Amino acid sequence: MESLVNRTKFRLLLILVFGTLSLIGLFIYSLTVGSYNIGWYDAISAFFSAVSNGGETTTTEERIVYLVRFPRFLAAVGVGIGLAIAGVIMQAVVRNPLVDPYITGVSSGASFGAVSFMMLGFMSGTMAVYALPISAFIGAVAAFFITIGVSEASGGRPITFVLSGVIVGFAFSSLTNILVVENPDQLKGVLFWMFGSLTAPDLTQCAILLFVVAIIGAIVLLYARELNVILLGEEQGSQLGVNVRKVKLLMMVLSSIVTAVCVAFTGVIAFLGLIVPHMARMLVGGDHRLLLPASIIIGANFLLATDILCRFIGDLPIGAIVSLIGAPFFGYLLIRRGKEYSN
Amino acid sequence: MRCINGLLRPQRGTITIDGKNIEKMKIKDVAKICANVPADCNEDFNLTVQELIFLGRYPHVDGMWWESKRDEGIVLEAIKQFKLEHLVDRRLNELSSGEKERALLAKAIVQKPKVLLADEPSAHLDLRYKLEVMENLKEMASQGVTVITASHDMNLTSKFCDRVVMLSEGRIIAAGKPSEVITEERIREIYNVEVSIFKDGDEIFAIPRRSIR
Repeated sequence: MESLVNRTKFRLLLILVFGTLSLIGLFIYSLTVGSYNIGWYDAISAFFSAVSNGGETTTTEERIVYLVRFPRFLAAVGVGIGLAIAGVIMQAVVRNPLVDPYITGVSSGASFGAVSFMMLGFMSGTMAVYALPISAFIGAVAAFFITIGVSEASGGRPITFVLSGVIVGFAFSSLTNILVVENPDQLKGVLFWMFGSLTAPDLTQCAILLFVVAIIGAIVLLYARELNVILLGEEQGSQLGVNVRKVKLLMMVLSSIVTAVCVAFTGVIAFLGLIVPHMARMLVGGDHRLLLPASIIIGANFLLATDILCRFIGDLPIGAIVSLIGAPFFGYLLIRRGKEYSN
Repeated sequence: MRCINGLLRPQRGTITIDGKNIEKMKIKDVAKICANVPADCNEDFNLTVQELIFLGRYPHVDGMWWESKRDEGIVLEAIKQFKLEHLVDRRLNELSSGEKERALLAKAIVQKPKVLLADEPSAHLDLRYKLEVMENLKEMASQGVTVITASHDMNLTSKFCDRVVMLSEGRIIAAGKPSEVITEERIREIYNVEVSIFKDGDEIFAIPRRSIR
């Protein structure tokens, strides 16, 4: 028999090569798509001339490519990877493939944290760029722990987790709505939080986003084998020598941070963290050493491709489009699993 | 059993394996000498048989991410021993309960334990798989692994086990050879059931008669 480990390594390599190639293709394409018409050759040369000038833009093309479409690409990649990682982690930690940052109420909590921060009026000042994700993080952690608390108190089964996430999500969304209605003068500034949009972050914010996503992604990848063990449950995991509680706590905090940062800059993009790990699982199976890289690659490609699609159909908010794709997908999963339960 | 693999602390006394106190060992070091076979396991995550068995090597893998050639050799050996060759790429939720039990046994054996704990390994299996599991456990015991199982099945226990410890409400009632421990009187006392016990050499057969109110 050929080496099983080498076979796994080869599959990982395939995923990385093809995923990166397709991401490069989509990147170039994404620079050309939008209301202002730029050919792909002009787009690339405008991009490189802006980069070689250290970010100084002179022509309209350069401004559009470097200051509008490039950050949008970075945001799509960052959020696509970030929410995919958060989804994989949450699914492993609660041992339930039906959860993601949105289902568990974490996105709504982060969104509430971010909106209340803005409403309190600290939006100006140099620290705002850091304080915004931090307040989103506080909301995210609060939401996650309330969800877990309610779920555990009601039996800790997969379905109770989903339901308590829905409860917490609704509660935080309502609070956000009240805040928004009470401060109508700031409505425009926060509207995108509720829809989810990749147009808001500038290059600095994208850099923060990518920095956080890269660090957390690296940590999570180091824990890939522990995540595999966690799938077997607390007792089996401990029995294999993993401190399951400690790893779970670390993973919950990491997934909350990465969700919070994504939500802080681009708003709520529902279901992404659910769809992407499932696609990856269909392709490569359950081993996190393959599943995590595959989810990262698919997450980046998927959100970027969806964003390009959004621009074609008149710049619709991406959160709505992803939800439109995600809702039937989630329904399909429920139906399939529901059938499995009744067997 | 949970005390033996370090998940719980005994209220009194100490547990030692090879003269080493379990409580004073790191959880990962306990995992190197003590494995268990769960009665069931989560199958929601598309884990394949091969991936499950590799997980058993977890405490021994020194590398950061990948198993070594040696780990792989041990896994392949276990796959052969439990006749799982044709199932390595199958997902756990596609297996029959007997196949799954074999995969879980393989996962435990690649852990290379000195002590193997099996909590009611045959409880939900049909007759053939019940025997198969016990035969596999017996084979491990003959390879030098101490196998400890918990069971309510007196017949299987007496057929396969060298020593039996009978427990009732947390206390040891009797310990020794199966034919000495399992008697009609004790069963009546502990289970409130009348049984007839027949002996055939060292083997015994317990036939339940009726429950006593």
